[in-house]
Amino acid sequence: MNLALIFLITIFSFSLFFYGRSKSKSLSIENNYKLKALPKFYGYYLVLWCSLPSLVFLLVWTLFEPTIIKSIILKIAADQGAIMQDQNAANLIYEKIKAVYLGTYFGDIDSLLKESALSYAKFKNIFTNSKIVLIFLIVISSIIYALKKIKSNNKARDDVEIILKGLLFVSSLIAILTTLGIIFSLLFESIKFFSVINIFDYLFGTNWSPQRAFVRDASSITAAEYEDLKDAFGFVPLIAGTAFIALIAMLVAVPVGLFSGIYMAEYATKKIRRVSKPIIEILAGIPTVVYGFFAALTVGPFFRELGENFGLTVSSESALAAGLIMGIMIIPYISSLSDDVINSVPQSLRDGSYAIGATKSETIKKVVIPAALPGIIGSVLLAVSRAIGETMIVVMAAGLAANLTINPLDSTTTITTQIVMILIGDQEFDSPKTQSAFALGLTLFIATLILNYIALRVVKKYREKYD
Amino acid sequence: MNEIKIKSKNLNVFYGEKQALFDVNLDLNEKEVTALIGPSGCGKSTFIRCINRMNDVIDICKVSGSIEMDGIDINDKNLDVVSLRERVGMVFQKPNPFPKSIYDNVSYGPNIHGKGETKSELDEIVENSLKKAALWEEVKDRLDEPGTSLSGGQQQRLCIARAISVNPEVILMDEPCSALDPIATAKIEELIDELKKTYTIVIVTHSMAQAVRVSQKTGFFHLGKLIEVGKTEKIFKNPDNKMTQDYITGRFG
Repeated sequence: MNLALIFLITIFSFSLFFYGRSKSKSLSIENNYKLKALPKFYGYYLVLWCSLPSLVFLLVWTLFEPTIIKSIILKIAADQGAIMQDQNAANLIYEKIKAVYLGTYFGDIDSLLKESALSYAKFKNIFTNSKIVLIFLIVISSIIYALKKIKSNNKARDDVEIILKGLLFVSSLIAILTTLGIIFSLLFESIKFFSVINIFDYLFGTNWSPQRAFVRDASSITAAEYEDLKDAFGFVPLIAGTAFIALIAMLVAVPVGLFSGIYMAEYATKKIRRVSKPIIEILAGIPTVVYGFFAALTVGPFFRELGENFGLTVSSESALAAGLIMGIMIIPYISSLSDDVINSVPQSLRDGSYAIGATKSETIKKVVIPAALPGIIGSVLLAVSRAIGETMIVVMAAGLAANLTINPLDSTTTITTQIVMILIGDQEFDSPKTQSAFALGLTLFIATLILNYIALRVVKKYREKYD
Repeated sequence: MNEIKIKSKNLNVFYGEKQALFDVNLDLNEKEVTALIGPSGCGKSTFIRCINRMNDVIDICKVSGSIEMDGIDINDKNLDVVSLRERVGMVFQKPNPFPKSIYDNVSYGPNIHGKGETKSELDEIVENSLKKAALWEEVKDRLDEPGTSLSGGQQQRLCIARAISVNPEVILMDEPCSALDPIATAKIEELIDELKKTYTIVIVTHSMAQAVRVSQKTGFFHLGKLIEVGKTEKIFKNPDNKMTQDYITGRFG
């Protein structure tokens, strides 16, 4: 129904474009005046006036219609003697009425339900009809208004500009509000978590075993029970594991990525560059889950066997395997970004160095890299925040046990892995276990936010220097 | 007349298909300033970039003919480019100090060529180079500040100090004043006058007045050919070639 309406409004509006254009032209010829805007702007003007008010009305109507119908129906049902102790019971009855109306209710239909379903159908019908009539009226009146405006020779161009600016503003507002919404939902759930678990116990605890809180209702935890829970949500092993895996990843990605970036920017011929740069960038396009099973099924077992040959115990899910593969995943970020920043170092600096007798590698080492350093650091920081936010590889390859370890051959876990583990399966949303996922998410968010901020600042500072 | 330091014979330069220099025969005298003038794209810069083989950096550039410095062909395959560039310094159109401290900018060359092994030797080289470049008094108290923090004219003098830090025999200057204001330009010109006592200098310039002020010998290039070369006084007062006459009087270019 709504889709059909939107479709009709759109088609009709667009056909008005041509009418508005020719109308304004013929008006200007008949009355012998110069239009204050190009004829096409009068076309756009009509289109916008026809479509925007009716579409906005439709949106608002659609948002509020169910709520209004629901309150009317429930009131009628209550008048007829339906018993609703609380909100949940009312919701249940309303769902039953709707199911009867749709013919998907398989229980016994008593007279009350039947009556209510009939009145539901009646109101639904009234609402739909009045919606169509109202939209029709809105379209007609706004077109009449707009046509009148064409006659009075207004500045259609300025109005169109203002409306378009408004539309663009609303779009960016949606993006911003969504971000804020996500942040606040993280924040509120985290506050619930921290009202149960002391924030210091969380930040400095060294033991992570959230399953201990699985069945407890957060609101009814006693002091004695809290003593038991106190050390279940220690954040330290998770941040340590995250940092450790990110460190291993960086040990792989920074040298390889940086050196390949230098090669691409300074040594590779145009031909080689044209072929190899996209190939390296393909690495960035591989889905992380593919890296994940590569790490879990190939690299992990390989390290284990290798370790056995040397008489070492290597867990088949090891920080080393996960970090290594994550490092490979990150190589293209570093190599591509450092290639770009090295390329943006002015040729005049290289010339200055060559002219004094420096060789290519001396020039790169002593002039180009120092000049590009802020940009390179920025790219590394961006890569770090990518590494600590990465989930799939570590879920598959690093293990789940929250070991506080610095042995790369041992299994370890990360913040993201734990969030996944906590939220898999059926959840009780008032359990501190579930809420801890939001606290973890918030912590991770803040950490990557800070890293990104620093990285972007560093990169920006560098840009200002040479542009 | 001083002795000939650099002698180019039938020098041709190609950038890919395009020929940039045609049979240039030009002698540069020792401890003298030679100015190269001519309209943009006429090959002046290409010529001086041949003298320290900066064209090697450009892949598509091919050089034929010979340039002899002290009788030795610098285009010889066996010639060490690093030591050639130690002997032939260069100053560019736009000041290009490295993003390092003033001190490190000047000590860069000596470090690369293994000069000034102790700290005090290096300090001395830096101080002398900056003094020769007439910059010492302005920067002696802030040698650890970045070279890029200096003004344009100071930066260019820093680049000159950098070029003379390895004690070259020849200094090439590619429009060294084109990015500078008149006062900074006057300082650089004064400096060139002083430097020619020690070094052989080649300067590319778009300013006739500058060529007259600083040089003893002038070469006029047009479309990759050396049209006329001679004493600066003669070129500007009484040129043999009609084209030179037209260029210096501003009828084209």
